[in-house]
Amino acid sequence: MNALITTQKLTKRFNGLTAVNRVDFGVHEGQTSGIIGPNGSGKTTLFNLLSGYFPPSDGAITFQGRDITRIPPHDRVKLGVGRTFQLVSVFTSLTAWENLVLTNVRFQRAEIAPPRFFFRTAQRAEILDDCAHALDWVGLTDKASANVAELSYGDKRMLEIAVVLSLKPRLLLLDEPLAGLSDHEIAQVVALIQRIKTERTVVIIEHKISKIVDLVERLVVMNEGRLICEGAPEDVLRDPQVRECYWGKEDQVAANL
Amino acid sequence: MNTPADIRGLSIRPAPRWKIFGQLALIAVGILLLATNIKLHWLTDFIIFFILVLSFDLLYGYMGHLSFGHMLYYGAGAYVTGLFLVNVGKNPIAALFAGLAVAAILSAVLGLIVMRTHGASFALINMAFNEIGFFIIRSPLAKFTRGDDGLSCSSAKLFGIIDLSDDVSAFLFVGVMLLLVFAFLQVLTTSPFGILVRSIKENEKRVAFFGYDTFRSKWIVFVVSSTLAALAGSIFTLVRGFLSPQVISPFGNVEVIFAVLIGGAGNLYGALIGGAIFMLIKNFLPVMIPELSKVVGVKLPQWEMWLGIILLIIVFAMRKGVVGVIRSQWHYRLRAARSAP
Repeated sequence: MNALITTQKLTKRFNGLTAVNRVDFGVHEGQTSGIIGPNGSGKTTLFNLLSGYFPPSDGAITFQGRDITRIPPHDRVKLGVGRTFQLVSVFTSLTAWENLVLTNVRFQRAEIAPPRFFFRTAQRAEILDDCAHALDWVGLTDKASANVAELSYGDKRMLEIAVVLSLKPRLLLLDEPLAGLSDHEIAQVVALIQRIKTERTVVIIEHKISKIVDLVERLVVMNEGRLICEGAPEDVLRDPQVRECYWGKEDQVAANL
Repeated sequence: MNTPADIRGLSIRPAPRWKIFGQLALIAVGILLLATNIKLHWLTDFIIFFILVLSFDLLYGYMGHLSFGHMLYYGAGAYVTGLFLVNVGKNPIAALFAGLAVAAILSAVLGLIVMRTHGASFALINMAFNEIGFFIIRSPLAKFTRGDDGLSCSSAKLFGIIDLSDDVSAFLFVGVMLLLVFAFLQVLTTSPFGILVRSIKENEKRVAFFGYDTFRSKWIVFVVSSTLAALAGSIFTLVRGFLSPQVISPFGNVEVIFAVLIGGAGNLYGALIGGAIFMLIKNFLPVMIPELSKVVGVKLPQWEMWLGIILLIIVFAMRKGVVGVIRSQWHYRLRAARSAP
């Protein structure tokens, strides 16, 4: 298996706080990984570094053998790094289909060329049809013309996933995709991720292990900016270091599972 | 190829481009209605102001970048056209394009600097450049611009037949220009690029994760907006044939911001309605207030105070301007009608 993305001693410091500390992280093509760890352990900072939200203080990131450490986020998207945000990042001042227009035309050379991109209406059959497919995939077709501000949080999350999927990412980074959702919505999103992971390399950040332990083939545990353990979920959960460092007491392990 | 009917269950339909002609006709009717009550000479000024407000609405209303230095480009267009007429040739079309070209280049260069800033610094850095422009026109270039004395710059007839100093011709000329600018902006803002611009307004940083270089998009909007402002300035020069440094004064920017806020930012009709309301207030209140004072028997305050009060009402009661109020009423009724049995 080839490594899709790897980091070498990746470090991010914020005014004295080292949020990510010399992390050597890697994901193989086709693999589904989960990153777990307590609040403030550096999970989201790691995602922000991988997706280019801000540059690292030290270290390097390699994507498909290419150094992307200093590449801006929009170029990483072109290379195939897609991400979602902890708080849903769809545009609430637009409608659902308008959210999808930009990512749907992104990879069509003809659509992104000046005359079409600037002067033909976005509300035309070819584009709407692509949006309809994307919405259909996440079950939001009937909400195409709804203002996103009026959608439920779960629908926004589904829409966000539809948006990022239409970027056709090779690597999909999902930052706490289940946070703030109802049990019913969690089941929907988990089912969606099950479908996505057959086609793409996915990394999921999650706070509660129980929700993703069946989704992922590999778990990575972060604590205080470091990777403290990685491997198959059952091995990781059995690891005494993880139990000790991360949960402390045995009874809390049971509570978290 | 899919026809609209194939788009399964989608509650939205493709919008044909020809609809724009209906919109243009609507605006033309609105302008002609104004023409029945207002002198054409004044209305021409109104329309030039509408073009300026439209250009500002693209930058502020659609992309959320509030500039205090938009008049730099209006003034640059006006002065370059004027100086071209005086020093190079009398052809109005050539002078117009000279104004547009210089303003486009100027905004393209300054855009590389100002588009790296946000919020208050964006507003103020633009104002700083505007002040510099204002100064340059008044003093170092006074030999050419005649400084505060003003510059007379008559042009030859448009296409050899249309005399732009004639009120009717001037009115028709600026009217056609307004329709062209409106059509251009309507097309631009409903394109995928228009959606990109609106998403930049909401959250610029996230747009990057859609795979777009936001700086380039912002720069394009700045150059387009500035060039359209220059178009308004050039047209002003062509129809008035006289320029004073007033046209490039950063002070004028306030009026444009008022107009956009009154009408409703981020809506082309809002820009037109706001522009019209502002111009009516500006031109008729000063006339009406002394007369009203006579009737009431008390000396009423100056018109600027009434404008301030109107602005306060809009800021507090009509956040999205006149168009916003009309829209929410419309949606409310539509929903009430739908939910009725």
